[in-house]
Amino acid sequence: MSADLRKRVGWVVTATLAVIVVVGLAMGDARPEDRVASIGASIRCPVCQGEAIIDSPSPTAKAMMEIVGEKVAAGETDQQIESYFQARFGEGILLDPPFAGKTLLVWILPVLAIAGGVWLILTRRRKPEAIPMEQV
Amino acid sequence: MTATIGFLAVLFAAVSSAGMVVRGFRAMRDPSRAVGRYFQWPVYGVLAGAFVAMSALEIGLLRDDFSIEYVANNSASTTPFVFKVASAWAALEGSILLWGLVLAVFIFTVHRQFARSEQTDRLGAGALAVFGVIALFFFAMMLTVSNPFRVCIDPSTVGCFQASNLPWVDSSAALEGRGPNPLLQNHFLMAVHPPLLYLGYVGMSVPYAFAMSALMLGVSGSEWLRRTRPWVLIAWGFLTIGIVLGGLWSYEVLGWGGYWAWDPVENASFMPWLLATAFLHSTVVQERRGMLQAWNFVLVIATFALTILGTFLTRSGVIVSVHSFTQSAIGPVLLWFLMVALVASFGLFTSRINVVASSPRLDSLASREGVFLVNNLLLTVFAIVVLTGTLYPMFVEAFSGSQVGVGRPYFDRMAIPLSYALLLAMGVGPVTPYRAARGSVVWERVRTPVRIALGAVAVAVVIRYRNPFLLLGILAATFVMSVILTNLHRSARAMADKNGLSLPRAASRVMRNDPGYWGGQLSHFGVALLAFGIAFSANLSVEATVELAPGETETVAGYDITYIGQFTREETNRTVIGAEVEVSRNGRLLSRQEPRINQYGATSQSVATPAVDESLNGDLYLSLKSIDEQGVRLGVWWFPFIWLVWVGGLLAGLAVLWSRLARKPARDMEPVAQVAGHER
Repeated sequence: MSADLRKRVGWVVTATLAVIVVVGLAMGDARPEDRVASIGASIRCPVCQGEAIIDSPSPTAKAMMEIVGEKVAAGETDQQIESYFQARFGEGILLDPPFAGKTLLVWILPVLAIAGGVWLILTRRRKPEAIPMEQV
Repeated sequence: MTATIGFLAVLFAAVSSAGMVVRGFRAMRDPSRAVGRYFQWPVYGVLAGAFVAMSALEIGLLRDDFSIEYVANNSASTTPFVFKVASAWAALEGSILLWGLVLAVFIFTVHRQFARSEQTDRLGAGALAVFGVIALFFFAMMLTVSNPFRVCIDPSTVGCFQASNLPWVDSSAALEGRGPNPLLQNHFLMAVHPPLLYLGYVGMSVPYAFAMSALMLGVSGSEWLRRTRPWVLIAWGFLTIGIVLGGLWSYEVLGWGGYWAWDPVENASFMPWLLATAFLHSTVVQERRGMLQAWNFVLVIATFALTILGTFLTRSGVIVSVHSFTQSAIGPVLLWFLMVALVASFGLFTSRINVVASSPRLDSLASREGVFLVNNLLLTVFAIVVLTGTLYPMFVEAFSGSQVGVGRPYFDRMAIPLSYALLLAMGVGPVTPYRAARGSVVWERVRTPVRIALGAVAVAVVIRYRNPFLLLGILAATFVMSVILTNLHRSARAMADKNGLSLPRAASRVMRNDPGYWGGQLSHFGVALLAFGIAFSANLSVEATVELAPGETETVAGYDITYIGQFTREETNRTVIGAEVEVSRNGRLLSRQEPRINQYGATSQSVATPAVDESLNGDLYLSLKSIDEQGVRLGVWWFPFIWLVWVGGLLAGLAVLWSRLARKPARDMEPVAQVAGHER
């Protein structure tokens, strides 16, 4: 097989594999959503230390998990269930901080850090025309 | 008596530290003094004092000397031997003493390197001065707010109510000790995890001390990096293994069905790890290309500060409640030390910025240096994310009194994309040439790995894996591993052709020729295995809660779980209540498991211990939720390939040994050809 042909076959194989992967990813869905579990993982157990109610063995957490189960069965949305707990325990009951209010900062700070870092890297490098292209 | 000896030993270590500070600063000004001999007694004094103090505490624990408050409140006569020994670092005062001892050992090893050279060494002298300051702080704390040798003056039947800081007052012993926290005497990992973590934490003070010394002396250059590289590598390895074993402990003991919960204690160890990892990479850039000098100072200061912050977070009670840390005397003291260290270090850094800011600049982003920069950016942002998520709720509560929750969903959402990006950089970076890389050269080197990774995902898609997180995980991890393997193969092939060696022997020769590079690659391989383990166990796990009466069976993830009955066992230090469970598959009995609840005598606290049926396919994890005559409630999990997490993590940490221990082959056998990726 000539080098040229081999190269072409290589490309075809790569492209085919890439198509399969992209199709697989596009068809993919994350695991079948267990809504009770996912809501349970986002609500803080109020009598524990930073644990979600789904992870805690405490009676309070168990009772709250049951409420979540009933509400999901009754067809309430995630939003409704979360605001139900928020109304009773305050904003701090959510482990997933909302992109608003007091917790806006925890989302913005990392973005600022990335932006700052990228800016530093870009401004600190040598001007493009000064680059000697090294023979590798 | 034991307490008095221990206290005096701590005092001796403190005085020796002060001597080290004085002599260190003197030797910096008067170079003729900057020789090993001049520091002999302070260095040996700190080591001897710390060693005797730790021995005294161990003797107190092993002899059940309940006149020592620490022993009375953290050990009991029924505590098994291993946990008596480990009790010495299971609680606050003892763990600070361990900090001191580990620091003393590191100072001793630094001094040995220092004493070996005949020349005067101001950099080393300055580092010893900085070490002296750190040691003085910790030993002074052990004499005051965190005294492990307080003697009991008001004993209760079990444990001790009130104690005196002065060990020579009349003491009265408690009848029986309280015993260690049940969580800490449930598994032998608790005996080894904290010392490993501390070796990692405290080891980071070595590059910090040398960096401060270099700044004080106003010397630029990379000498401080070159000299401290062995300690940085070893400390990083210990920190890595400590964190992995901490996860394993959480998995084997806590029974909640996981190994990492992003809780503040875990984050406290992970943040310094992230920055130490960044430092490990950016120092390569400075040593090779002279770049990033200022940045390396920033990183090493921040890493050191995070180890102090981690000690503060885990030891001050601030996690239980932000308002409780002021009740422990040690909280404010550690916080002050952290503030003073930060202000002093960064103050010194800014005053010397003209010395360090003259390093050469980046030629092109498409180069090894460029990828290292991306790696540093990602790791630093990762550390900022963890820091923000950990501290922000505490700040809000401290200043406004209201609670906000920042938990697992937040950390996961941030960590997952950062981790994929890091894996990608880890694949491309090691085969990208320095200075300016042509796209075609890099593509030539990653072409095969890209195909292998795509092929692996295509296979996964065909056998019906559909979860995109899992597929991306397979893609990234396979890519990293095949880059390493193809790179090694190419280099070994060239070496084999040239010297007429067999391929495996050539590969081992290649790896020994550049132990630093290949140690790093081994570590990357471990991280890729770890990523595999996380991708599989997190995305394909099965979780269920089953309620069974005796004799009943339920099926979870293809396993039939049969509840046989309840049992109770009395052991010396605990009562064990458990469920006998049979696990079978397709009618064949696989194993008998005993998930249980352990009740620890004096405290009557109970701890659930899960039963884990481990196999190469994955773990069946059974956790007892409740049990009575009618039946049992069991949490059942199936974690596929979770052992990859432990194996990968340990390999990542142990790989530093290759960098340190691999012997280069004799000079005459060294090939001239530099192949694939690690050309100078």
